[in-house]
Amino acid sequence: MPLTARNISSLVIDSLCDRAHEDNIAVIGLYCDFLSQQEQTTTNIMGALLKQLVGRGGIPDHLRVAFKKAKEEFGGRGPRLVDLMGMLKIGIAAIPQVLICLDALDECVPKRFSEILESLRDILRESPGTRIFLTGRPHVGEDVQRYFPKTVVIPINPNPNDIRSYVEMRLDKDSEPEAMSNDLRADIVRVILEKISNV
Amino acid sequence: MAQISLNIGDGNTSCGNIDNCFNSFNSFHISDEDAPIMRWLSPLEPSNRHQGVRTERFDGVGNWLLETSEFREWRCGEGGADSAVLFCSGNPGVGKTYLR
Repeated sequence: MPLTARNISSLVIDSLCDRAHEDNIAVIGLYCDFLSQQEQTTTNIMGALLKQLVGRGGIPDHLRVAFKKAKEEFGGRGPRLVDLMGMLKIGIAAIPQVLICLDALDECVPKRFSEILESLRDILRESPGTRIFLTGRPHVGEDVQRYFPKTVVIPINPNPNDIRSYVEMRLDKDSEPEAMSNDLRADIVRVILEKISNV
Repeated sequence: MAQISLNIGDGNTSCGNIDNCFNSFNSFHISDEDAPIMRWLSPLEPSNRHQGVRTERFDGVGNWLLETSEFREWRCGEGGADSAVLFCSGNPGVGKTYLR
């Protein structure tokens, strides 16, 4: 469905990416997802952000050492959050500006909100120029504001222009265009927009 | 695998530069030797997910957000750490039920 926050997130990411080239900026982030709750732990999320940074500039030596050390331990173990955060903060500080986008924060397990937000605040303390873009259901706003009191909130509501373009796109794809007249088409768009403004 | 990844990156005209981490993970060449390190860091593949979301995206929707003064000011970052966070609040599927 195109009128969701997820649509907005992907648009924002691409728009940030377009400018990233000239400004030497790194855009990293993640789409949280109900279906991936088990996998999307704070550790894996921060690891994924670090992975994106590493994909940009190459693997630093201290990361190779940490990997080798972890593998040598009994059975090999995954990275710990504290170690990942250390490496992530070093990586972010080494780039002029990093933009972090986390979509649908509320689709993570609720008990992880504070851990994720705390990690982001940690990054911001170290690199105050970092920009953080978050989306989520309205109730998550309280959590976000607890960690970042000056958060700017933009409500995403169905916008009449967005809906008009979407309806027109759907009408263009109608499988029986001969059954459609200009009057009918205009009526469909008008009625849908009226119904939405009454909600 | 490297070849497939490169193709994904090449098909992405608006974001095809190395500075773009959302894209560069796909296009940056990670050697076979380094692949286990990347897997160790995290099993998540956010760049692949982004490719999926953007292909389903309906273009034009949400452009208004990029024009808001809130977004522009956040992006410029002149307020420093205080204005570092922008939160877009909305219900997923908003609009969906109305259009069904």
